[in-house]
Amino acid sequence: MRIARLIVLSAALAFVSFAAHAQGKAAPKDALVYFVWPQNGTAIRGGFWCRFGLRNMGVTHAGDDFQNSGHHHLLIDVDEPLDPNEPIAQDKSHLHFGAGQTEARLDLPPGKHTLQLVLGDAKHYPFNPPLVSEKITIRVR
Amino acid sequence: MGEIRDFKSGKSGKPVRESSPRRLAAIVAGDIAGYSRLMEIDEEGTHGRVKRIERSLIEPSITGHHGKLVKTTGDGFIAIFDSPVEAVRCSIVIQQDMVGRNASLPKHHWIEYRIGVNLGDVIIESTDIYGDGVNIASRLEGIADPGQVFISGGIYEQVKHKLICGYEALGDRKVKNIADPIRVYRVLPDPTAFNRTRKRRESILIFLLSLVLLVIAGGAFWYIWWLPHGKDGDHASAPVLPEMPKVLSAPQSTVKQTAPLPQPLPAAPPANPHAALQTQPAPLVAPAVKQAAPQPQPGSPATQPTSVVRQPEMNMLRGGSFTMGSNDDPTEKPVHQVSIKPFAISRYPISVREWNECAAAKACAFTATGKDDAPITNLSWSDAKQFAVWLADATRKPYRLPSEAEWEYAARGGTQTRYWWGDQFQSGMANCKNCADVAAAEQPIKVGSFTPNPFGLYDMGGGVDQWVEDCWHKNYQGAPSDGSAWVEGDCGSHVLRSGSWRNDARYARPANRDNYDTNVRYPTHGLRVALSP
Repeated sequence: MRIARLIVLSAALAFVSFAAHAQGKAAPKDALVYFVWPQNGTAIRGGFWCRFGLRNMGVTHAGDDFQNSGHHHLLIDVDEPLDPNEPIAQDKSHLHFGAGQTEARLDLPPGKHTLQLVLGDAKHYPFNPPLVSEKITIRVR
Repeated sequence: MGEIRDFKSGKSGKPVRESSPRRLAAIVAGDIAGYSRLMEIDEEGTHGRVKRIERSLIEPSITGHHGKLVKTTGDGFIAIFDSPVEAVRCSIVIQQDMVGRNASLPKHHWIEYRIGVNLGDVIIESTDIYGDGVNIASRLEGIADPGQVFISGGIYEQVKHKLICGYEALGDRKVKNIADPIRVYRVLPDPTAFNRTRKRRESILIFLLSLVLLVIAGGAFWYIWWLPHGKDGDHASAPVLPEMPKVLSAPQSTVKQTAPLPQPLPAAPPANPHAALQTQPAPLVAPAVKQAAPQPQPGSPATQPTSVVRQPEMNMLRGGSFTMGSNDDPTEKPVHQVSIKPFAISRYPISVREWNECAAAKACAFTATGKDDAPITNLSWSDAKQFAVWLADATRKPYRLPSEAEWEYAARGGTQTRYWWGDQFQSGMANCKNCADVAAAEQPIKVGSFTPNPFGLYDMGGGVDQWVEDCWHKNYQGAPSDGSAWVEGDCGSHVLRSGSWRNDARYARPANRDNYDTNVRYPTHGLRVALSP
């Protein structure tokens, strides 16, 4: 019984197999990551849905190493420069969307905030050169 | 024959046909759901917005995807594409962009397109196209829900392996004035939706696989157990099951439990009547082991534990009531009282060595590289859960992930301060970013390198993030107060505790909580296990 279960388990896991990894991969030249909403300078009342756009590349699940694909990371009020040799940090100001999400509900405290999108590869490394959106500033009332 | 040749070479003197050539094309038909309602609310405004959308979104998107806008009607448009992939891609772009445009408006002002895409042979004239391929595209658009893209089977066959998005089969649909039913697929641009459908398919596959394996295992059982059964008719009764509930509720009196002794293992093939018991799920029988030590444990032939599984060192904690949460972050509010039942928790985060035993048993997904006594990292919640399930199975003890409340109770070590050692951060107490003199050391550094907390637990704060059983909730509004795991609601992400070596000192607070996608691995995420008494 147990072996059967383990075989089933490992068979299931084979689907979620690892992909080979190489950090600092180059993104296509015409790839573009951008905010569908909000736009730079938008004033917003309360919580809102932030929507991410990606052109000429595909959004995948983190860990899936397809050509020309990646997943979104949203940097909120981050000023430090991005280190291309480290995985994109994971904390309250670096939100990860490794399940392939293209939108997120944000509840930011009132005031000015900066938002920036960074596309990460299967292993959460930024591309080389980093594929980032314009850093936008919004005001939450 | 002669006539045709003449026609082809243009000698027939009737070049009229050139004006309406036939060709295969991907046809995209879109229209606005509830257009007349919108016009009723605000005629000029709606008209202006629709025109703006056509100018700034529909037209550029179609040209951008190498398509041709055939015509726009008051509330819709028809376009043709050479490539089905581009046609579907363009439709997704339009739909996603519309979501963004609508986001800032009240719902009754939303302009939502329904889009149908079909592959068909069409007659093209300068200002319009004809053919039932066009009609099918409009019918698909007609049955699509607002904001959605429906594609026909023909399109699906062309795009299914080329576009990374989900497709939900809606079966064959009969549509108005078209004789044959049409196979319809809904396009799900959100890959999480795609994963959901894929998972459903996977689970069916797994189910079938396990069924086959069960049948084989059943056959093997019969072969192994039935044959000797005939020879010795020993029917000694073994009242293992009825005693079980008592064992489960027996309170554990020791405060500290050292590394548990190896389990007594069956030395000889067990008595026959147990064969019947083995079909019971293993965890049910498991707790009986402690009490039934002198009695040979019915080892199922499928398990046959040849080597003893190393168990994590556990600290037994007396339960009690404590104040959970803090006012330092909105996610940690409201501060509330929680009572915790006695439980044991591993003294250290699970190490690479411990993890690799699970990997060797093929119960964990990957073999980790790195130092044996470093904490295991790069785990998704599902990986962590698998380890706990395997450990419980292999040791026949109720190992599991701790609940979030248990984790915080253990991390606080009976204190109510910001950190377990006081309200001020002290360097050298936890492995976090810029807070210890281990900058040069290779990370993550080995488990137990820092001072243990008052409960004798190491690395409860800093080091590696640790998965707990609970699904993520953005604050404690509605959280259970009995110390159990909070698993209701959306479990797309689970709770992480402790903060890691890449987070600063604020994250090493026992009240700090974070979350991450359930099935995604990240290099700083590990676990520790708990054990119910």
